[in-house]
Amino acid sequence: MAILELKNIVKKYRIGNEIITALDGVDLAVEAGEFIVILGTSGCGKTTLLNIAAGLEKPTRGEVVFRGVTISKLKEKKTVMFRRKQMGFIFQSYNLLPALTAQENVALPLVFDGVKPRERVLRSVKMLKQVGLMERREHKPSQMSGGQQQRVSIARALINNPRIIFADEPTGNLDTRTTLDIMGQLQRAVKENGQTLVMVTHDQEVAEFADRIIYMVDGRIVEEKQGGTHL
Amino acid sequence: MKNYDLLLLANKNLWRRKGRTVLTVLGVIIGTASIVVMLSLGIGLVESQKKQMSQWGSLNIIRVQQSWDFPGQEDGQQKRLTDEAIAEIREIEGVTAVSPAIEVGGEASFGKKMGHIMLVGLEPALMEQLEFSVSHGRLLNQDDRFNVVAGSQVINNFWDPRQRSNPWNWEEPPQGDSLELLNKRISLSLYNNKQQKRIYSLNVVGILSEKTMEHSWYVYAPISELKKMREFTNQGRQEEVYFQEYMEKDPGGRSSSSSARAKKEEQYSFALVRTNDVADTRRISRQLRDSGYNAYSIADNLEGIEEAARRFQAILGGIGAITLLVAAIGITNTMVMSIYERTREIAIMKVIGASFREIRWLFLTESSLIGLLGGFFGLGLSFALSSLLNHYGSSFVNPGGMMPGQEAIQISVIPLWLVGFALLFSIGIGLIAGIYPANRAINLDPITAMRHG
Repeated sequence: MAILELKNIVKKYRIGNEIITALDGVDLAVEAGEFIVILGTSGCGKTTLLNIAAGLEKPTRGEVVFRGVTISKLKEKKTVMFRRKQMGFIFQSYNLLPALTAQENVALPLVFDGVKPRERVLRSVKMLKQVGLMERREHKPSQMSGGQQQRVSIARALINNPRIIFADEPTGNLDTRTTLDIMGQLQRAVKENGQTLVMVTHDQEVAEFADRIIYMVDGRIVEEKQGGTHL
Repeated sequence: MKNYDLLLLANKNLWRRKGRTVLTVLGVIIGTASIVVMLSLGIGLVESQKKQMSQWGSLNIIRVQQSWDFPGQEDGQQKRLTDEAIAEIREIEGVTAVSPAIEVGGEASFGKKMGHIMLVGLEPALMEQLEFSVSHGRLLNQDDRFNVVAGSQVINNFWDPRQRSNPWNWEEPPQGDSLELLNKRISLSLYNNKQQKRIYSLNVVGILSEKTMEHSWYVYAPISELKKMREFTNQGRQEEVYFQEYMEKDPGGRSSSSSARAKKEEQYSFALVRTNDVADTRRISRQLRDSGYNAYSIADNLEGIEEAARRFQAILGGIGAITLLVAAIGITNTMVMSIYERTREIAIMKVIGASFREIRWLFLTESSLIGLLGGFFGLGLSFALSSLLNHYGSSFVNPGGMMPGQEAIQISVIPLWLVGFALLFSIGIGLIAGIYPANRAINLDPITAMRHG
């Protein structure tokens, strides 16, 4: 069963007097428990697609259906609840809050969800252990390496036990060794919990971790391929 | 998001830029202190005026006289101070005691000294309620007849004819010791219109304290005796004849001349009314004037003074408000800058599940915290400034030192309500100053913010 369906998504931007078409009729169905990679060069519209799929942006035309709910038509107030309870996010630039420690960053989604401090500590410790950063839990992002920061952000994305995780070039800023390490961790975590992972990247090697690879060029899906070589 | 989490996060954010936050808070401190100190000066002014006025007389006493007769006035419009009227006044809400009073003046002598006294008859049992107090001896009680209580200056009404030729030598104000009178006898001579003379021997049982000046030149006696004295002095008055005729013509009056006379006798010189508090005094005083009496209370003056003080306060408060306005703009500026620095952060929070409402309240809480801190320390500064003003400024308002037992007049008074007001006001200012930045924060597009932030 498809957990996420994109139906004929069109997204147009206006930059100055010019209208740019970022997405030009994208249809995609993501199955529950699937690890899917959207592969393409920069500027092909893959990040826009991810944002629209996550309800962060509204499509110009078309529908996004998440677990039977058309989230592209919901107000911000409602979509925030989906992001809070059912979605996790990982970014290229980690996007941790600089003022908070590793543990506080991991627990932040729970703060917005109104979870009590005791339970937040228990759950964030568990997540930090899972990504192997227990000894760094009191460190601020500025005191950690890129790989460590990305592991913190993975822990943050997974802490609310989301149905689906969106990752935007999660390894874009990392070296090859760390990339493989991070990808391995991500893949393992997702598979263990039966979660769905949607990742965009321009890195062919990273794409090899996926169950399915979607190729995008100029705002359109041009090819689809079953992956799984790393499994 | 739980409230304490919001507060903790806001507090954490606030102290990331310590210098900037401290400077912004400093602005609010100065703003709050200027408003509070300015207002405290106005309050101090009213308080000191009240204190000064209460030295002239009680703020809870109204003196009521019947209205003046003047030509052209219709019959029945004048309010007479009869027993009936006294009873009516007693029924007014807020009145705790009423005593009618009769004044009789006459030649008097005390030992070898000669003089003149004003004798005032009151209900002896009500003296304490009417805020009379003695410095020596006692007040009157129900059984007294020719016992009297003398004001502290009454002794200066007497002079020794052998020592001083001119009794009213104002160049050298009389400085008699009022204690001289205590437990001594004053002889009062009264004449009626038939040139008959009666001498009363009055025993002084108490001397009034100097707390209030309005009673200091009078001698107080039981009203029952005064009624008899007045009856004696009125004997043979021509007016009485006229009055009798007048009363006979009056359809409402009683026909018998003797009862008409009795009615005339019943009228009092004035009445003293005791109320619960200053507010009641002013209200009742106005009410009595409206119903045709001449009513006067020291509290009546408060109105004018308070009006002047209000204007004074408005000007001072206005100056303070401008300072606080500048501080509020400072808060807004700080918050806007903070949002510029934190666009990326705001975007992250939105993406990982913070609602618009939570983002807005995060920034409103930060700006209110600045306000609260400013208000709190601003109050501290205000108390410091206020005590400095009272310490070094007291020589201006208490010239020539103070009388023993007199409380120092304070220039600056910070009552509890002003403390509460200042705290709430500064939080409010912070909240209002945060509205614009908070709206900017929620309107940030998370995607753009994260891409370029």
